[in-house]
Amino acid sequence: MQCERVAELIGPYMDGELEADDRRFVAAHLDDCPECRRLLEDYRSVGRLVAARGHEPVPAGFAGRLSLALAREAAVRHAETGMPARTDVQMRRPDPASVDEPPVRLPRRLTSDRLPTGWKRWTALAAALVFACVLSATAASWLTERSNQVARLEQDLMSAHVRSQLQDLPYQVASADTHTVKPWLVGRVDFAPEVRDLAADGFTLLGGRLDYVGGRRVGVIVYKRRLHFIDVFVWPHGAGEPEAPSPAVVNGYNMILWTKAGFTYAAVSDMNGAELQQLQGLL
Amino acid sequence: MPPDPSRFERLALQHMGAAYNLAFWLVRSRNDAEDVVQEAFLRAFRAFDGFRGDDIKPWLLAIVRNTAYRWLAARRRSANVVSIDAALFADAEDDPPALQVASDAPNPEDLLLRAGERDGIDAAIAGLPPVFREVIVLREIDGLSYREIAEVTGAAIGTVMSRLSRARAELRKVLGGTLARGSSDAV
Repeated sequence: MQCERVAELIGPYMDGELEADDRRFVAAHLDDCPECRRLLEDYRSVGRLVAARGHEPVPAGFAGRLSLALAREAAVRHAETGMPARTDVQMRRPDPASVDEPPVRLPRRLTSDRLPTGWKRWTALAAALVFACVLSATAASWLTERSNQVARLEQDLMSAHVRSQLQDLPYQVASADTHTVKPWLVGRVDFAPEVRDLAADGFTLLGGRLDYVGGRRVGVIVYKRRLHFIDVFVWPHGAGEPEAPSPAVVNGYNMILWTKAGFTYAAVSDMNGAELQQLQGLL
Repeated sequence: MPPDPSRFERLALQHMGAAYNLAFWLVRSRNDAEDVVQEAFLRAFRAFDGFRGDDIKPWLLAIVRNTAYRWLAARRRSANVVSIDAALFADAEDDPPALQVASDAPNPEDLLLRAGERDGIDAAIAGLPPVFREVIVLREIDGLSYREIAEVTGAAIGTVMSRLSRARAELRKVLGGTLARGSSDAV
């Protein structure tokens, strides 16, 4: 019987999922058969009722929780995949905005026509060479010492940042209000860091926490931009810490250290270097 | 390189409503639906590098659906589990045992939910088996094509077609009286 075949096709017919031949067949049958017309009408009513039910409303705050979960997952993955080699990350990311380290300057090649010919000149050259060696060795050891200290600090900061991302919340006091975060921090560290509201510039203040970096208790102000968390560490400036803004990439995390008004600041995030520099400029 | 979270978020969060709705109709609990969507989105995010296509929606909903079914299976298993130890020492490959324990008893909100839908369209949809429920929801609420529904459910298009017909026939039977009024308005 035709009606049985039509009953099978009527859904796809109303959904616009039939081939031309079948569509014509169903349309022709509907013209003659009030029973099947009623079926089509009922199916349409069912469809309208279900459609009117609409999406079950998403619980309040769910989008935020989902964002947070994704950001945390991104941080963990970042920490795990970024860990093995820092050069790795830069090589695979040719985006200029994310590369902050200046290119390594190679020594200029010595060419034979520059070398003096006479033996006196050789002696002079040798003496100069020895002097230069001594000088550079001293400078190098001083520089190494200094850069080791900074490198250790950078490692510490990176670890603190990653550790915070592994927690349920990367902050201990949650507030977008600078007048809440600052007193909270002041009560827990022996200095009074400045906490700025940068919402107008696209950096949402999430809150603050305490951390332990470079052998001292430091304050951390936590901002968020899109999915990226940014930790701004702050403590009273110590000897050997960078004064001018010095960007670095550690295990794929971007970092800028600088000094302002007697405090050392360090911004750390998986956000790109250009945006991190923007934040540094605002603080 | 880890996938770019902002790109994934941009693409995926616009389908959060559809994802939550599908999860809600499959697991029939607001709390569980939220957990299912979160777990599914994290899974999707981890697999995002492998995603090659122009429309993320069916792919994402397929992950939500699979997660929801795993969830249902775990809940069925846990219905028989009395001891917490058994749950704690469950196969590590499976869903976290804590979830099995937690999903055991319906919470007050879910009981309220069930009480509120004794009649009407909600009860009618809820009364369908999950494989019919999902096709009707994806078709009538989200307006997915048969091809897309096939992608989400992992079934052939012919199967989608017949499940949809069965679902409609069933709803028509259950909603009989309501429909008569509806159709007389429409005609």
